[in-house]
Amino acid sequence: MAHTAAGKLQGYADDAYWYEAAYVYGVTNGINAVADGLRLPLDFSDSGVRRPLVKLLEFEEASDRVKEIYTDIMAFYVTEQVPSIFRALAHDDGYLTDYWKAVRFVFQDSHLDRLTKEAVALAASMAAKSDYGVDLHLREARRLGLTEKGLMEVVQVVQLFSCYTKIADGLQLEPDFTHLLQVSG
Amino acid sequence: METVRLLDEHEFPDELKPYFDGTKAWFGIDYIPKMSKVLCYQPEMSRTHGRCSRRTLVDGALKRRQKEMIAVAVSAINACDY
Repeated sequence: MAHTAAGKLQGYADDAYWYEAAYVYGVTNGINAVADGLRLPLDFSDSGVRRPLVKLLEFEEASDRVKEIYTDIMAFYVTEQVPSIFRALAHDDGYLTDYWKAVRFVFQDSHLDRLTKEAVALAASMAAKSDYGVDLHLREARRLGLTEKGLMEVVQVVQLFSCYTKIADGLQLEPDFTHLLQVSG
Repeated sequence: METVRLLDEHEFPDELKPYFDGTKAWFGIDYIPKMSKVLCYQPEMSRTHGRCSRRTLVDGALKRRQKEMIAVAVSAINACDY
């Protein structure tokens, strides 16, 4: 809560920024839970011994409807391989269709630009200790322009605030920035 | 309810006044946040960790507002209300 207040004071005053960020780390956490839970292979770095617990539906064996979605996914991520999370979800093409539309909407440029969203998703993945999320969002953040300096800044924020949150929880600190969180609009 | 008693401002050593003034200015508030009081209970922690925090949160490759937003995401994942 303290940093929502600080962020509002620093220029993200409109609630739209915070809704978008919440969508990003929420969707990211959902994807990561399933991807790591099912031990899906990492898409952009060596997976080591990870073997998927469900069959991944490959492009060649997919229906025309799923192929259309796969093509859109590959264009969005600028990759020739559909990330494994979507190949795992493709067995229910109705679910995949709507879920991908939601992911695409959440990560597209809007009030927050796509790079900021990927930095948020990367941090959320590190905080959740998600191998899948770190692989996907580190690749995306770098592709969209995150420098090594910027990456270290994300790493430092994750480290510091993973520390602060544990201290706050352990000592049961009650929020003291609430009065600064004026609702916009 | 906190599980420790947080010290009042006057109970901290005078040497911490510049740190507290800086914290108030940093957040644009007129009181000392509880987390700052916790970190200042042992001043060596506030000096070192506090410097790391400020070094991290200033504008760099990412703007401070982006970093604050990332901090919120980390707090949310860690399920922390503070």
